Parts: sequence; C-alpha cells; structure tokens
Amino acid sequence: MNAATLHPLARDYLKRLKKAAANLPRARRKELIEEIESHLSEALPAGASETEARNVLERLGEPAEIVAEAGAGQALAPRAGLNEWLAIPFLLIGGVIIPVLGWFIGVVLLWSSRIWTVRDKLIGTLVIPAGLATTVFLLLGVGTVSGESCSSKTVTTVGSRTVKTLSANSDCVTSGGGANYLAIALAVLLVLLPVFTSIYLGRRLTRTNTAE
Amino acid sequence: MIEYCVLALLRDGERYGFELVRTLSEVPGMVTSEGTLYPLLSRLRRAGVVETSWRESPSGPPRRYYHLTASGRAVLEAFSGEWASFRDAVDHFLEQEKNA
Repeated sequence: MNAATLHPLARDYLKRLKKAAANLPRARRKELIEEIESHLSEALPAGASETEARNVLERLGEPAEIVAEAGAGQALAPRAGLNEWLAIPFLLIGGVIIPVLGWFIGVVLLWSSRIWTVRDKLIGTLVIPAGLATTVFLLLGVGTVSGESCSSKTVTTVGSRTVKTLSANSDCVTSGGGANYLAIALAVLLVLLPVFTSIYLGRRLTRTNTAE
Repeated sequence: MIEYCVLALLRDGERYGFELVRTLSEVPGMVTSEGTLYPLLSRLRRAGVVETSWRESPSGPPRRYYHLTASGRAVLEAFSGEWASFRDAVDHFLEQEKNA
C-alpha cells in the first residue's frame, strides 16, 4: 500500500492514528492501521475535494475513539516508561558520576518497575553491584596498590643495600608483567559484564511490547 | 448487537472490510463512527468466528476479505433463534401497551 497516493488530509489522519495507537500491542496496532489505511484509499481518491475528504474522515471518527475501541476488552500490558529507561544508565554509570548514590538510584528505579521480573532485577543488581563504578574503582585500586608495593620495595632496598635495588626492581617489573595479562582479562570482564547487563535489561523492556 | 449483523452480512459469502463497514453505516442508527468497526472485526477474527484472507483488488491496493468460520455460522444460527423469541416477547409487551 502506498501512502503517497492518499489524500493529504487522509495522510494527516493516519499520522494522528499512528500516534494515538502507540500503546496498543504491536500486532493489533499494525492490523488497525492497515485496515484504516485501506479504508481511506477506498473511500477517498487522491483527487477528492477537501469537503469530500472531511466528510469521509468525519464518518470514520476520531483516532482516539477508534484506538479506545481497539484496546477494549484487554488490559494493556504495562509499557516501559521513563523510569525504566533511566534505571539502566543509572545502574551502569550512575555510580561513576555520583559515587554510590548514583547506582543506588538505579537500584530503586529497577526494583520499583512493574515490567522487569525478579530474575531481571537480581541480574540488574548483582551483575555487577555499582556497575562500572566498581570497574573503575578496582582498576584504579589495582594500579595504585601494585605501584605502591614497587616503590616501597625500592625505598627499603635503597635504604639497606644498593646492590639489591636492581634485583628488587627487576622482580617488581616481572611480577607486574605477569599480573598484567590477568589484570587485562579481569578489566575486560569487568567492563563487559555491566554492559551486557544493561543490554539485557533493555531487551527485556522492548520484548514486552511485542506480546499480544 | 453489531457483531451479529456482521456475521449475518457474511452468511452468503465473503466481503472485504470497507464493504462491510459501508453497508453497516448506511443503515441509520446502527453505527456512530465507521472506524470503530475495524476493531470489532479484529475481535471477531480473534474469537475465531471469522477468518480473513488478502486478495488483490481490480483497482487499488489488496483487500482483506472476511468470511464466516464453522463456529461463526453456529453462533449466528443460535443468535437468530434467540433473537426471534426475544423480539416476539418485546413485541408482545409493546402491543399490549398500545391496546390498553
């Protein structure tokens, strides 16, 4: 069906109908819009006068009225709102922007949602607590700790004997090099896990909209 | 009530949505807005009393045709019987009023 062949007023009407039908289950919305579009192309040739067009649209009724009829007889499934879409970024990076509290806001939003299941909420909370803030904190923490141990070794060895300074330094470098692979793998995991959780939570939100 | 009128219109064969809607809306007092009939057709389809199929039209876009299912035919027959006796009962009281 080609919307371009419709009368301009009919196109405008369809646009309003699509907007009004946004909360209907996807399949029902599609069916309704198809039928009304087909009705308009039957009833209203592209060259119809404005009076004719207004008459056809008046007989058809207001989009809101038609959508109300289409939604009747079924409880509308709760749809993801602003709270859900805010919960995800707060869980992921809230803790980085506002330490602890930012993530905590995300958790409150997550658990107050009527769309996610308890399983979703547990995953959202536990993988990983505080989200990327934990990653940032751990990575900075690991960096500082290994740095400190090296420098303190150097300092003590420098204090006792100059000969051991070299060996202590090389120890420090080799142990640091071995730990690097592990640290990188851990870092990648720590970044990916919270990101995957966010993607998962987002997908769960869009999935509920397709259910009829 | 309109549901049964739709079923009755389909008794003798299939019709497409626009045809059904226009036929119903041409009877005065039957339909307030044509658009609300499409959700009604959708409900009948989901209830399994009608089925639909897309067919090319001689002019313009393809049309969605509606036809009765076996269960739709049974529902229509049952309603026809009930409606006849209901109408007689109401007539009985209306006539009595008039005669009094």
